[in-house]
Amino acid sequence: MSDKMDRKAELERKKARLAQIRAEKQSKASRKEEEKKVTVSVSSSLDQKRKETEDLLRTVGIDYSTTVVPSPPSPKKVNTTARDVPAEPSPFRPRQPHAPQLGQSKITLTSIPPREVVTYAKETQTTVEENNQHASDDEEEVVKDSEKDVVVPEDLPEEEEEMEQEVREFSESEKQMIESSEGYHSFLMRSTKFIERALAHQIDLFTEYSTHGDEESEVERGMKLGINRIFSDERWSRHRMVTALDWSTHHPELCVASYANNDEAPYEPEGVVLVWNSKYKTTTPEYTFQCQSSVTTACFAKFHPNLVVGGTYSGQIVLWDNRINKRTAQRSKLSTAAHTHPVFCMDVVGTQNAHNLMSISTDGKMCSWSLDMLGQPLEAMELQHKQSKSVAVMCMSFQQNNVNNFAIGAEDGSVYSACRHGSKQGINELYEGHMGPVSGIDFHRCPGQLDFSHLLLTSSFDWTIKLWSLKDGNHSCLHSFEDRNDCVYDVSWSPTHPAMFASGDCAGKVDLWNFNIDTEVPVVSTVVDSAPAINKLAWNSTGSQIAVGDSLGRVHLCDIGEQLSSPRQDEWTQFVRSLAEIRNLHQEEEEARMVARQL
Amino acid sequence: MSEVEETIKRIQSHKGVIGIIVVNSEGIPIRTTLDNSTTVQYAGLIHQLTMKARSTVRDIDPQNDLTFLRLRSKKHEIMVAPDKEYLLIVIQNPSE
Repeated sequence: MSDKMDRKAELERKKARLAQIRAEKQSKASRKEEEKKVTVSVSSSLDQKRKETEDLLRTVGIDYSTTVVPSPPSPKKVNTTARDVPAEPSPFRPRQPHAPQLGQSKITLTSIPPREVVTYAKETQTTVEENNQHASDDEEEVVKDSEKDVVVPEDLPEEEEEMEQEVREFSESEKQMIESSEGYHSFLMRSTKFIERALAHQIDLFTEYSTHGDEESEVERGMKLGINRIFSDERWSRHRMVTALDWSTHHPELCVASYANNDEAPYEPEGVVLVWNSKYKTTTPEYTFQCQSSVTTACFAKFHPNLVVGGTYSGQIVLWDNRINKRTAQRSKLSTAAHTHPVFCMDVVGTQNAHNLMSISTDGKMCSWSLDMLGQPLEAMELQHKQSKSVAVMCMSFQQNNVNNFAIGAEDGSVYSACRHGSKQGINELYEGHMGPVSGIDFHRCPGQLDFSHLLLTSSFDWTIKLWSLKDGNHSCLHSFEDRNDCVYDVSWSPTHPAMFASGDCAGKVDLWNFNIDTEVPVVSTVVDSAPAINKLAWNSTGSQIAVGDSLGRVHLCDIGEQLSSPRQDEWTQFVRSLAEIRNLHQEEEEARMVARQL
Repeated sequence: MSEVEETIKRIQSHKGVIGIIVVNSEGIPIRTTLDNSTTVQYAGLIHQLTMKARSTVRDIDPQNDLTFLRLRSKKHEIMVAPDKEYLLIVIQNPSE
């Protein structure tokens, strides 16, 4: 129990101590506070004392406060204020580092152009060259131009704006001024032609042959006579019958077609001649020529690339030049020295250095002309049979490479051979056989191993085509093709195949004949769309195409299959054989007829 | 002059042709079948391109000259017939 008492006593003691410590702590804290208060009070007491002394001194008569006490802080204050004054614009200071940055960006902008100038220096060179070519005399302008060119590309970002500024617009009057200038006109006439060709020249550059096979077999295509395209012009050729066709020798793709008058358009010129281009798929004629009188025949001046000559219904000979930008023609004078009747046949014969234009009118008058002078004919000759009967000439054909011998077909169905010069000048021989007017006549003209230039084909309104030989003195025809059921309007030998010729009839049928294959029926034939009368035929120089002119004013370009048009090596000898066969047949027929007559 | 009108009309009526612009040597349009903004844009840009093409051709061979410029793109084909004084620009859509 004593322990407990001890412990209690101990606890009491400890508590007492704790209380003592606490008291001590409190006293310490209070003392600290007191000390602080004391210091404050001390200072305050100091102040008090100072005041007391001051008062004392004041009573004595010395003012101390103003002189000594405030003096030490006052200069400091002045200093700080002095520093504050320049510190006042301090809000502007952070902006100052931005301003130099602006300046820097300007510098980078200016640093770009010199490079650009270097690259464009090349362009100025070329413009100088260009200007030198066009106007070498005024150098100042050249310099100005080059300067301009340097200036323009100098600032790239502004270039587009400048471009738009540069493209100022012409006023209406300025435009009219330019549009009426000769240079503008000729430029457009030329360049539109190029553009039209380019537009018509549709080639798919992106064809891939590996994707699809060729459908049409080669053999089939080789034996075909297909219409490739049609030349026709809404204004100039519609309702005008095609009166003549001819291919150019200088530009083998050009084909000239002459047209008769259009009854439905009395105010248009009566005669029209169009030059078509078979190379480009343009829908418009290359050249358009006009004439006051209906053009009854036309052809290229064989030895002159620019001239087209024509014969008219009035009897005048007309000449057009494609270099002159005029549609009208140079004309021969209407006089009794020349033709006074329609000229239905015309041809240029001779060589490069000595050639003449031959023309025959329906009254049988034949004239030869020099292309340099259409004032009057060089020669004129009346074609008469037996000195009395003038011949109404429908068609004419000169022998190949011969300027003297020719044949004519007459309205009464007779065919004559004739000469221009020599003792037998005029009409020589009469070949009778046709029952109707002779519409077409053509001498064989395919050059080759053997000469067949004496062979003559004629077509007639009596539905037949007849083959004649002018060599062996036989005045009756060798063979008559009587497969046709209509008037045959034209016939023409192939220029490359010796045994082939084409014919066109009133029902729109174009036939291709080959002596070596069949003499009774055509090899191939095709009917032209809407079956107009086929008026004229003309082979191109390679014999791969025929131009077919119809009565509606269209010229159809027919492609002839390669197998048909290109002759084999033995075609010539085979042709001789077929001719012999024809002769034999003809003789047998004659004999049979004689026998029948005797009976 | 009507002949020129005729040919321009004919080209314009050609299948696929979008527009025709005639521009002088400074790239200022003289005649157009397009609206004004398109014309100005085409005239300026095509003129620049043609001049560049011409100078390229001439730089390669000083005796040579540009005669035709045909530009084929996915959507159009632009054909330019340049001359000393004028340019004829035809824009067509070849796939039509």
